[in-house]
Amino acid sequence: MAQNISPEQSGGAGGSSKHTDDSLPVKDNHAVSKRLHKELMNLMMANEKGISAFPDGENIFKWVGTLEGPRNTVYANQTYRLSLDFPNSYPYAAPVVKFLTPCFHPNVDLQGAICLDILKDKWSALYDVRTILLSIQSLLGEPNNESPLNAQAAMMWHDQKEYKKYLDAFYEKHKDT
Amino acid sequence: MTSLDPAPNKTWDLSLYELQRKPQEIITDSTEIAVSPRSLHSELMCPICLDMLKKTMTTKECLHRFCSDCIVTALRSGNKECPTCRKKLVSKRSLRADPNFDLLISKIYPSREEYEALQEKVMAKFNQTQSQQALVNSINEGIKLQSQNRPQRFRTKGSCGGSGGGGGGGGGAGRSSANQLQVHDTASNDSNSNTNSIDRDNRDPGNSGASATSANTSASTVAVTPSTTSGASTSANRMHVDDASNPPSVRSTPSPVPSNSSSSKPKRAMSVLTSERSEESESDSQMDCRTEGDSNIDTEGEGIGELGINDEIELVFKPHPTEMSADNQLIRALKENCVRYIKTTANATVDHLSKYLAMRLTLDLGADLPEACRLLNFCIYVAPQPQQLVILNGNQTLHQVNDKFWKVNKPMEMYYSWKKT
Repeated sequence: MAQNISPEQSGGAGGSSKHTDDSLPVKDNHAVSKRLHKELMNLMMANEKGISAFPDGENIFKWVGTLEGPRNTVYANQTYRLSLDFPNSYPYAAPVVKFLTPCFHPNVDLQGAICLDILKDKWSALYDVRTILLSIQSLLGEPNNESPLNAQAAMMWHDQKEYKKYLDAFYEKHKDT
Repeated sequence: MTSLDPAPNKTWDLSLYELQRKPQEIITDSTEIAVSPRSLHSELMCPICLDMLKKTMTTKECLHRFCSDCIVTALRSGNKECPTCRKKLVSKRSLRADPNFDLLISKIYPSREEYEALQEKVMAKFNQTQSQQALVNSINEGIKLQSQNRPQRFRTKGSCGGSGGGGGGGGGAGRSSANQLQVHDTASNDSNSNTNSIDRDNRDPGNSGASATSANTSASTVAVTPSTTSGASTSANRMHVDDASNPPSVRSTPSPVPSNSSSSKPKRAMSVLTSERSEESESDSQMDCRTEGDSNIDTEGEGIGELGINDEIELVFKPHPTEMSADNQLIRALKENCVRYIKTTANATVDHLSKYLAMRLTLDLGADLPEACRLLNFCIYVAPQPQQLVILNGNQTLHQVNDKFWKVNKPMEMYYSWKKT
């Protein structure tokens, strides 16, 4: 058993990633890329509707994902691109996931950062690219307005008609980006 | 168990199902139960590393299994809960080793080393093909080769026959070239059921070396695995199962991202190609609009394009060897423009063609056109054999002409001379 990881080094829920990285030898890095390759293979086999992801260039630790706005929500018929950055401690720590496409949403800030518990303290090693993207997809339609990153969006959410109108104007404004 | 129970006051209520259920009968006779590789794989896989379980540990309360290393690391670095169901796992003591399960795995996979080596191999192959850069390169390479080879194929007979051999045993390449021949000969509709990607990937000999083989390798890599392992499930086998149920070509586009590029890029390339070829159709006459429109449709369904001879016909239009000889007024004015390559719908008639020709030549020559030649009418001939020109009736469609006189797999050669009225 790999007992060379001292408790204080590996403490802190995937935070203090510096420590975790030190304690993970190169062999484990290989294990991470192996798992990412398996995920990629499974994703390609599964052909999941509405989501997709692929490594961004040669680096298997950086992916770009796309997801379609869920149907019957104000986000329907929109496609969003996201970046996924995997730490060396993946899957024990969550990847950093950000919207690349501007997204006006109560739990997404204007830099694209996402407030989602499973990407923070509720992360589990069982989550993968597929479940992350599916979770974000469902977050679009069901925001958590209690802890908004975008207060304006949270305030507007109750009036879906107005919200949709604002959203359309928002897309129009950010068409080029 | 009770001594280790973190919450001694906890009551253990059985659900209705648990109260009702009976233990499974042990199978003692030779009954065999078929298990699909996929479901077997998901049973034997550690959900953290996605590999086969190694030194299995089972959670005591919720009975979820993980590799020892995986769950220990997970508990150290994350929340103290079961990664699968979030049940609280206070410490390593909430887990127990599961040697029976390890035994079970070793019964199914006697040689784990062999299995792992194979896995590595599959992954290495997969890495080569998944690399986006490699994919884009191979697509670009393919487009380049296609655009080099395509015009030649129109003019030289049997070049597609060569492509079958050039494909080098790739089943797809051979098959598609077979289709190509078949379509040219019989104008059958079967080819239309071919997916574009098959056609696109395997159409010309050079390209099958690029993207098509990459598809083939990924398929064949996978097929190797089950024959060498002792048969049961691995993720590789699982791949094999998937591939068996789908044509390999579907797998040749590894993910939606590159598949977009692969479907749009060749299209773009083809439209460039088409506009090169149909330079005479600049949409300034009615007939032109039609030819150009049609060639655009052709680019949409790129793979079918030239195969779909049932819809479209290509012709080489030359001046009549005797009646339109080099000293003819019109031919002198046209110079090298007197030979034309045309692609149009098969249901166009010979009359259409002669009108088109008149219009086209008039436009080409503009002011240079001798007054006497304006509004000229043409006689159209087809030459089933060299030196043997057959004059064509105006209301025959090109399809009929092709069936009756031409039949061979190359652009129909037609001749024009003007009608002496």
